[in-house]
Amino acid sequence: MMFTIIVFLSVIGGVAGLTFHRFWTTREEARATILYSELFKKYAAWLALGTIRSARKASPKAWWEYNKALPLWRLPVLEKCLYIGFYGSFAYLAASGFFFAIFVPRGLYGFPLVGHVMAGGLFAACLAVIVIFKGRNFISVPKPVNLSLALLDPRKMGITAARVKLAAFWLFALTGFLLALTALLPMMPLLRTSGQKFMFEFHRYSALASLLAAMVFAGLEVFESGRSR
Amino acid sequence: MSRAGRYALGALGLALAILALSSAGSAASAGQEAKKAAWDGNRTTPAHLIPLRDENDEPIIPTETDPLPYSARFTCGPCHDYKTIQGGWHFGAMTAAKSGRPGEPWIQLDPKTGTVLPISYRKWPGTFEPAALGLTAWDFTALFGRHLPGGGPAEPSDEEVLAHPEARWNVSGKAEVNCLACHNRSGRQDPSEWAKQVLRENLRWAATAAGGVGEVGGMASRLKETWDVYDGPNLDDHEWAVVPSVKYRTSDFDSKQRYFFDLNYQPSDDRCLACHSVSPAGEAQWSAEADVHSTAGLKCADCHRNDLGHGIVRGYAGEAAETGNRTAGSFTCRGCHLGENEAGEKSVVPGRLGAPYPKHTGLPLVHFKRLSCTVCHSGPKPKEGFTRVRTSRANRLGIYGVATWATDLPAVIEPVYAKDAGQKISPHRLVWPAFWAKVDGKNVTPLKPAVVEAAAGDILKPEARIAQTLVALSQVMAEGEVPVLIADKLVFVPNVDGGIYASERPGAKAGTPDFWGIRKGEDVLPLVPEFDPAAADKDPAVETRFMEFLQALGTVAGAPGRPVIVVKTTLYRLVDGSLDMSEAPAELAEASGPGWLAEGKFLPLASDFDLRTVTAKAGTEQTLTEEQVALVLTALAGSNERSDFVYISGGRMFRVGRDGKLAAKSDAAAEPVTWPMAHNVRPAQQSLGWNGCTDCHSGGSDFFFTKLRGTGPLLTANVEKRSAASFMGLGGLFQRFFGLSFITRPLFKVFLAVCAFVIGALVFVAGLLLLGRLAGFLEKRSEP
Repeated sequence: MMFTIIVFLSVIGGVAGLTFHRFWTTREEARATILYSELFKKYAAWLALGTIRSARKASPKAWWEYNKALPLWRLPVLEKCLYIGFYGSFAYLAASGFFFAIFVPRGLYGFPLVGHVMAGGLFAACLAVIVIFKGRNFISVPKPVNLSLALLDPRKMGITAARVKLAAFWLFALTGFLLALTALLPMMPLLRTSGQKFMFEFHRYSALASLLAAMVFAGLEVFESGRSR
Repeated sequence: MSRAGRYALGALGLALAILALSSAGSAASAGQEAKKAAWDGNRTTPAHLIPLRDENDEPIIPTETDPLPYSARFTCGPCHDYKTIQGGWHFGAMTAAKSGRPGEPWIQLDPKTGTVLPISYRKWPGTFEPAALGLTAWDFTALFGRHLPGGGPAEPSDEEVLAHPEARWNVSGKAEVNCLACHNRSGRQDPSEWAKQVLRENLRWAATAAGGVGEVGGMASRLKETWDVYDGPNLDDHEWAVVPSVKYRTSDFDSKQRYFFDLNYQPSDDRCLACHSVSPAGEAQWSAEADVHSTAGLKCADCHRNDLGHGIVRGYAGEAAETGNRTAGSFTCRGCHLGENEAGEKSVVPGRLGAPYPKHTGLPLVHFKRLSCTVCHSGPKPKEGFTRVRTSRANRLGIYGVATWATDLPAVIEPVYAKDAGQKISPHRLVWPAFWAKVDGKNVTPLKPAVVEAAAGDILKPEARIAQTLVALSQVMAEGEVPVLIADKLVFVPNVDGGIYASERPGAKAGTPDFWGIRKGEDVLPLVPEFDPAAADKDPAVETRFMEFLQALGTVAGAPGRPVIVVKTTLYRLVDGSLDMSEAPAELAEASGPGWLAEGKFLPLASDFDLRTVTAKAGTEQTLTEEQVALVLTALAGSNERSDFVYISGGRMFRVGRDGKLAAKSDAAAEPVTWPMAHNVRPAQQSLGWNGCTDCHSGGSDFFFTKLRGTGPLLTANVEKRSAASFMGLGGLFQRFFGLSFITRPLFKVFLAVCAFVIGALVFVAGLLLLGRLAGFLEKRSEP
């Protein structure tokens, strides 16, 4: 139950953060007030309007067009296969894992579980290749820092969308590593019952962290590409 | 004051004084009772040198003439409240408010009618309530008293006794709760003697005899129903209808007529196992394994504890909540070994009796959610076709004497993994019911074996008829000769129980004509040898033997006609006690050998139906053929045309169709009866999973894929067939696929480990880079 609540709160928080970032960076009315209540009202109105607009636009045909326009299809064949495997396995892992964890009291079982294990292997392989070949694109180059109280001031931390995206990538890679590890260790004759329980919980929360990192990364990526167009 | 007034006043004063004294007495007595109930803290068992009292609460003087048997109610009762004990698990089935987790039902077995009927006073799924079958407490005691510890149905209420005057409680007395059955430490305690006394209807004497307190003679079953225990011995009959009597073992009494009971507070395992043994069928005693707890030095009663109420802790999950006995939570597998209740909360006392904490290294959590501990740890390991076991109560084990008590039927199967009440998979024992029944809509009401037998007439007696003939012929056999029936490749010989044994005839060829013969050593000679009755040099000894045979056959009860022997065209028969030889009438031209002459027709000694039936069943444990079932169902329908009759066996319901043929179908009434089992617990190294996941998860594991065929008294190929997975409510296809995935699992683990290592290493390097740059150890990338 606790996991379900945390998942819902985290996802809602993640979506709210991404949409607020978009509202804050694209809407002039966002800077027209310094009152939090006013700001919240404007944000809520913008969000509601945007949701309605998106809902009106949404149709299978529109989704198909959107998917067809993705840069993924224009990649070289090997890279295309890599990303299809990566996105597909992650989508299945997240969908099957969270659906069963939240809505099915018995948890993940049967053929969906077998699919989850197989998709897990594919995901780990794709992630390993992506980190090897694409990881260098996400190495940040911060300045050396000095030890001072300024480090605790968020405004002086230099948090930018680009840096958050980089952090999201590496958080995703880290959680991918943890997911692989927490799937592997319970299969080995190493852990007792308490260890198995810990690994089970750790796997679930790593998955949640992975999902949030993916959301943030994808949200910022989609936003940026939209702006550049 | 008048004289009358003074008298009344005096009487009132006296009454008040008596009342005051009695109330003071009852208060003191209540105080004593409370004191008795409380344990003083001493951990020894007191010496039980106590006066014996009979069922009238009179002291027993062992040297008196015709003393009554001792009564537990009045001998043990003064210190251990009898009424409280009567409500215990072993005695309170008839009155218990809650049935508890299903246990082994009583199984009524009647091989002749092919009845295997699970019965229980507790409302356990698949069992029949005795009253619904028309079984009174008397019937129940007669059927199962051999393994009852007294009390319960063997000690019915006065209302029950009055309601069934046809029962013989007045003669037999009641079998009170037999404290000695469990608590007697003496090696004299004899369950066989108990069974024998119950069979003789010596119920009130059974505890005295079985406990070795005294020697009991006589048989209440042979006494008239008007006999009463106060009538004393039967002076007219010292051989047959001998009144039960006790001869006490006087050496165990002291000079004050107190008897020494050698008792245990906790019953020894032998006492429990007398009624609770379960052993693989056909296994040698020396190779049978004991429960790992027993071999570790624990006694049954260490875990299966009870207070004076004798509500024995059964040790299953959920018992504590169900019974309100919180201590029970500590005596489940999880309670003792993990210190957890069934919800997994650490709320009970762990490590009782030194229980080790299990490691379960590498065992995925789902196993704890879906399986009970006993799946991996209890009972025989899964094997092809399951393990057939025999249990004390179902197969009448542990009763020894001249007669063989133990039976192969009913077929009890284990371990069948099925979901229990808590939806966890647990190992179960299983029995396929078999019975004749009347069907009314969806109600299937079993018929009593006696009712079936009455309707069936001779249909169920082929073995008996052949046995009778062979036994009759045995009377005139010389030393070393045994009469036999040769049918097909089989030899049938009479046995000491008045039945027949069948064995294969060495070297016999198929299609050999049936004949009656005499076995002498290895040779079998025909009963009627080849010879010419008309020959002048015929052996006169042959005809002398013919006369003996005909005399012997004349003693067969219920024979269809007079015995005759036909040789060629000569008819031999007895006329006025002498052998008569005459020309066989033309109607007997086809006849040959021994037979019966009925209304001028020659009938063979054994009819084709009898021969067909016994040869079909020979060498099997089945007691009915499809032909017999069809005939009996037709007979039952004839006795009551308005009702629909069926026979259930091997998981199928058989019914005679309109075309007169036997048809079978599945039906809820034919479903097997299962009950969870817990023992024997195997050592950890023998548990499932010790050798890895493939103990269960493989493409063809016995755990999931072994097949169970319905068994029953009916000889038929039409039986229910199920896979082990179907009892668990699991899909066989998925389990096969999942099992096969374990072939590639080691490779998958290596693959996943490599991926994890690569990702982890790069994340680590990236982290180091970040850290290095934050710290200024690494230079900022130079811009081109």
